[in-house]
Amino acid sequence: MTELTLLLRQWQRRPGRALATVASIAVAIGAIVATWIASDASRVGYRALAESIEGMPSVDVVARAGGRSDPSLAPKLVGIPGVRAAVPLVFRPSLLRAGDARVRDSAVGLDAAGLVEAGLLRLTAGRGCEGPDEIVLSQRLADSLDRSVGEEVLFFAKRGVRRLTIAGVAEPQSLVSFADGAGIALDLAALTDLAGTGGLVDRIRLVLHDDASRASVVAAANARLPGNLVAQVPPGRASMADEMLAGANLGLDFVTALTVAMAWFIVGNAMLMNVTERRRSFALQRVVGASGRQIARSVMAEAGMLGLVGALLGIVGGLVAADPIARNIATFLRSSAIAITVNPWLILAALVLGPLVAIAAAWWPARQAARVDLLEGLANVPPPASGVPHALMLVAGGLWCLAFGILAAAGAGWLPARAAVPAGIATLLAFIATTPATLGLLARLLAGLIPRRLGIERGIALEQVLRQPVRTALTTGVLVAAIGNGVGLGHVIRDSVDDILGWYSRALNADWILMQAGSLAVQGDASPSAGQGIMDGVQRIEGVEAAVPLSIVMGSLDGHACLLVARDLPTSGRLPLNAVGMSNETLRRVLEDGGVAIGTALARQAQRGVGDEITLAAFGRTLRLPIGAVVRDYMAGGSSVFLTRTTARRLLGIDSVDAVLITATPGAAAAIEQPLAAIAREHSLLLQSHREMRAMMDRITTGLVGALWSILGLGFVVGSLGVANTVAMNVLEKRRTIGLLRAVGMTGRQVSRLVLIESLLIGGIGSLIGVGAGIVTALFIQLSSQALLGHPLAMSIRPTVIAANVAAAMLITAVAAWLPAHRAVGLDLLDAIAAE
Amino acid sequence: MTLATPTTDPPVLVADQLAKTFAAGSGNGALVAAVQGVSFSVAAGEMVAIMGASGSGKSTILHMLGGITRPTSGRVLLEGVDLAALDDDRLAVIRRRRIGFIFQRYNLLPELSLVENVALPLVLDGRPERECRERALEAIAAVGLGPRAEHRPDALSGGEQQRGAIARGLVTRPAVVLADEPTGALDSANARAVIRLLTRLVADRGLTVVLVTHDPLIAATANRAIRIVDGLIAGPDGESPLP
Repeated sequence: MTELTLLLRQWQRRPGRALATVASIAVAIGAIVATWIASDASRVGYRALAESIEGMPSVDVVARAGGRSDPSLAPKLVGIPGVRAAVPLVFRPSLLRAGDARVRDSAVGLDAAGLVEAGLLRLTAGRGCEGPDEIVLSQRLADSLDRSVGEEVLFFAKRGVRRLTIAGVAEPQSLVSFADGAGIALDLAALTDLAGTGGLVDRIRLVLHDDASRASVVAAANARLPGNLVAQVPPGRASMADEMLAGANLGLDFVTALTVAMAWFIVGNAMLMNVTERRRSFALQRVVGASGRQIARSVMAEAGMLGLVGALLGIVGGLVAADPIARNIATFLRSSAIAITVNPWLILAALVLGPLVAIAAAWWPARQAARVDLLEGLANVPPPASGVPHALMLVAGGLWCLAFGILAAAGAGWLPARAAVPAGIATLLAFIATTPATLGLLARLLAGLIPRRLGIERGIALEQVLRQPVRTALTTGVLVAAIGNGVGLGHVIRDSVDDILGWYSRALNADWILMQAGSLAVQGDASPSAGQGIMDGVQRIEGVEAAVPLSIVMGSLDGHACLLVARDLPTSGRLPLNAVGMSNETLRRVLEDGGVAIGTALARQAQRGVGDEITLAAFGRTLRLPIGAVVRDYMAGGSSVFLTRTTARRLLGIDSVDAVLITATPGAAAAIEQPLAAIAREHSLLLQSHREMRAMMDRITTGLVGALWSILGLGFVVGSLGVANTVAMNVLEKRRTIGLLRAVGMTGRQVSRLVLIESLLIGGIGSLIGVGAGIVTALFIQLSSQALLGHPLAMSIRPTVIAANVAAAMLITAVAAWLPAHRAVGLDLLDAIAAE
Repeated sequence: MTLATPTTDPPVLVADQLAKTFAAGSGNGALVAAVQGVSFSVAAGEMVAIMGASGSGKSTILHMLGGITRPTSGRVLLEGVDLAALDDDRLAVIRRRRIGFIFQRYNLLPELSLVENVALPLVLDGRPERECRERALEAIAAVGLGPRAEHRPDALSGGEQQRGAIARGLVTRPAVVLADEPTGALDSANARAVIRLLTRLVADRGLTVVLVTHDPLIAATANRAIRIVDGLIAGPDGESPLP
């Protein structure tokens, strides 16, 4: 009881100390909660972004050799883990008339009412169509026809004309998940009847839960399907957003894990400060019979109690902080406000995590408290200078081995790409654990940059930094984590964005893109003559410099679903593809000689490389041929096969035109829009401008980068607290020295400078180690991205990212020094001199 | 080895060739011998004064006797148990049960009331709360501070704080009480009162006290005195005559 009384009285007597500790824990836990919630909000935002581009995550079940399938299979597929709904779909080109307005668009048949009820289809007005006489239009189409719910339109189909009532208007982004670009939705039975499919459907779309793995759903579905059906990732959508989402998730996981690590350092620092201030009390308790274990236990118990209080405050603070961060993320992602969802488990986890992190972080301070030298403690002298513990160096060695071990295992494919997260954290911790050994060299190096006229301040500050290398390492640890995080993720984000933008500018370099609005062909029902008609129409337009037709069809490579892209190569200049380990000239020769190139992700998935024989199936044909090249690609997540149109025609009979990349003569890009739009209307194609595509890419990349930086900024704010703590603790220890110096004439300004120099030295050391840690972390994540993308990202050193992080760190350390400096200047001289 | 004891009973406390060296602090690895092979023993119910000038090593000897610091060589036997051979936890148990400490600066925890301070060794020993309080109050009454039991140290005078520290030293009924310059921070009236209290406790309760002092008048109140000069016991027989 007296132990608890003692603790409570100590808090009462020095509330500032207890509050500082609680505040540290609250900030640490608040940071975890805020990061966690903001990460979840980011995931929601990214998912919304991905959905707006390519619909909800899904897997399609289609007939292997074309044709249709029986929708009664759908209920059997809903039981597959990760599947949210199985939606039978049928697509048909159609003509819609409302008054004098006529619009050609694709129609999709689906169970609209059921989807609306399940929350999978969102309407802006009305309800889902339920009978053969009702229709749902996308908002865009309803606006262009100037029609609203309750009004009628004429629907022209193969089997006649129907007068339909508009039952509802759908959010375009919601309809895209099922309609693949179509703006018209009819009841499934009504459209199958109008299309004369005999009740069969074109595909069954399996809508997945956000956290479901497409690969595992594909595998599970294929195991249940009859031989004539196959499950595959819907092709025809560039899955850049998906890939970026995977990368962003990796980043968010990393940031969240790192925040926990930072919390550990911050609370450790605060507890160490707390314990150092009470050395005399611990010594006295030891003298009257407390064992080291009892002291350690009391420190741990105190940490647990403060941890609980800090966690409660931190949860509140985290919830408050998460809101503006999430709003910031929503702004970056240009999405509607992201609703913050607070998982009750998160609150519970934070409540448990607070005391746990505090207790874990108090381990070292408790050990120090238990080992207080009784005589020094009673005399209240500062702890003596300490060396670098061998045990810590062993821990550092272990962490290095662990980090490289995980990386090697991930590289060999034994561990998933997400293993980059623990590997990155282990690397950062290894850097921090190694800090005491490198501290002397780095501190002296940095002290050399300080002007000679500040010799006294520099000397004392340097001695103070080196006096307790482990404690200094703990402080710099917070900064190393913040800077390592910033530099590491900054590099990864920029390199990823550059990689994707580089691919985009190579593969889709055109002023305008005409593409099929509906689903892609499994079999060649897009007739060559229609394609030729499109090409002729485009080439006749004045101002068109080049029109590159692309055939994009679904196929399989050694049983793996893939997208076959047939395109002609430009006679000169840059190729649209970037081969791995092969020059442009060689790649051109390979493709022109009738070879095929496959995407890196597909190569990794199928475990095939250049020269390996593969079985390629498409359009009902199967052939064996060698892989000519492996290329970096983001189409269908890199599960793509490239060949020239000549080769595609010769080997597979593919001659369709599914997309046309159109380049205008200089200055004519705007002028060709109208004639291209006319062709698009005539052939039910979508026309997208380079500007629109580029805006979409920019939206993704800006959103990604901005959202991650928002969360990273939090790390820096938290880091400042750690520095302020340690510098304050050093001031406390140096009371007598500072008192003596002031007594013999050192001015308050000089004392402030001393504290500032010490703080900046810590900031400089943290920056140097943090930059190194960040670059190595970036390297780790980028090497791990090979498992994600199939190819490693090109690593580059980015001075602006490094400079921004270092500047932020130095600014933070300078600001963090203010309070301790103020405290040092305000020391009572007699009191300070009597400290010993 | 010469062990001088006034009675034939087995000694409570034995210092056997105690030595302690410290690093010089100059950083060149030089060592300073603070205590150089000191041997003596203390019998039950005896009050022994260790005298010496400042820096002679007398406090270091006391710290070694109390297990606060370990000797570089030699042994400390408390009731036959070699303190130097114990690990930190077992040493802590010995300190809390069998040794009472009194310091020059009282060393009461400012956060606790007098009764809580006095009860602390018992609390650390895991005794029931009620027993801790009752025994603490009894010890406080024995030093004449009964009405001040609930006060915090900062509400007590220096003399009262030192009497409180004596009560804390007595509360576990230790085998020996070690007092390091117990009157060093007190005025002469309070100093006399504290010494009178200690001698009364020795006489009435059979308390065993080892007292470090540089004051010959205080040393004169002890049964005998050991004079320390430069870390060694002065005099051919290991003890100096009483002044």
